[in-house]
Amino acid sequence: MYDFAYHHPKTLAEALAALKDKPEARPVSGGMTLIPTLKMRLSKPSDLVDLNGIKELTGIKVEGNGVTIGGMTRHADVASSADVKKTIPALAQLAALIGDPAVRNRGTIGGSVANADPAADYPAAVVALDATITTTEGKHKADDFFKGLFETALKDGELITAVSFPKPEKAGYEKFRNPASRYAMVGVFVAKTAGGVRVAVTGAGPSVFRVKAMEDALSKNFSSDAIKDIKIPADGLNSDIHGSAEYRAHLVTVMARRAVDQANK
Amino acid sequence: MEIKGEYRIEAPREKVFAALNDQDILKACIPGCESLEKLSDTEMTAKVRLRIGPVSAAFGGKVTLSDIDPPNGYKISGEGQGGVAGFAKGGAVVRLTEDGGVTILAYDVDAQVGGKIAQVGARLITGTAKKLADQFFGKFAEKVGAPPPTPVEAA
Repeated sequence: MYDFAYHHPKTLAEALAALKDKPEARPVSGGMTLIPTLKMRLSKPSDLVDLNGIKELTGIKVEGNGVTIGGMTRHADVASSADVKKTIPALAQLAALIGDPAVRNRGTIGGSVANADPAADYPAAVVALDATITTTEGKHKADDFFKGLFETALKDGELITAVSFPKPEKAGYEKFRNPASRYAMVGVFVAKTAGGVRVAVTGAGPSVFRVKAMEDALSKNFSSDAIKDIKIPADGLNSDIHGSAEYRAHLVTVMARRAVDQANK
Repeated sequence: MEIKGEYRIEAPREKVFAALNDQDILKACIPGCESLEKLSDTEMTAKVRLRIGPVSAAFGGKVTLSDIDPPNGYKISGEGQGGVAGFAKGGAVVRLTEDGGVTILAYDVDAQVGGKIAQVGARLITGTAKKLADQFFGKFAEKVGAPPPTPVEAA
């Protein structure tokens, strides 16, 4: 690790002040991605602003027609929350499938969404459920938030304070896990929402994406058979030692069908 | 790994080729380029700082132009050392064809990454290389062409 100045703010205002005008400062939430990167000296921030002491960023609230989850809420707390299980069971199930117990007890929803790893689970739920991402600068719609590989609409120094998920009529999430890292080789979140059916895929491409053909087919008939013949093109999908782009394209249809079955249970 | 792509640029082929050899334009288009210094007409030294997700690394290295065939295209290659992070090298074969008054720029990238950055980031290398290629050629097409260009296909 290289040297850095460590800040441990107690409030959001203190955190923002610590980040202000320091282009090489980084906020750290659960640290599940950033800390290993620092240990390997693949990043050299001037300052680390630790968000773990900020109480106002934690917690789960059932509000109006959905659930609002504070940015610093751990995956394990989402997975075990009675409120989430009752309102959006698929979201609790997704959180329970992230990484391993150590990651679930440290990693946070805000950290996962801000990092936008191409194989992270939460982006699929954020997009499929048409969630709203609230930050220190305002609100972002899910469809406009994820811009590409590790790229979001967040500006430097902008922090996620909460993610609000409207309650869907039905929803399901299924992923094919990498057996070593538990990252999604492909994960598909399917939701029947007030605004129509939404299908979001993570792990397959450089960033989460929707599959319109499946959304159209499921709008007419919300059953896994309705999408069994829909193939997505392998062009532009991820290809690595764990699986080719063609393999991932195939998995998208398989996982989408399982997610629909899950939603219909 | 290989990455191909194509851009339509609203400019004549001679103008596009000249721009491909213009070091000021290259500097403006290479993602994260902090400096580009001319050694000769075909050789430059570059300093590039890349930030992809949690990783941030500075590479110092050389950029070379070869197989120069005006105005049909050339090969642009780069290799750099990122210190503890590892090394990166790669090249792009660029072909220009005319389509009316418009130039079609086709590129074929071959990139290799080694060292620590390759060990930990194996699953991300293709995506990263594609993103950097798109940034470079997208910006190039924007700078050289008249109205905003559209990527014809992404492979």
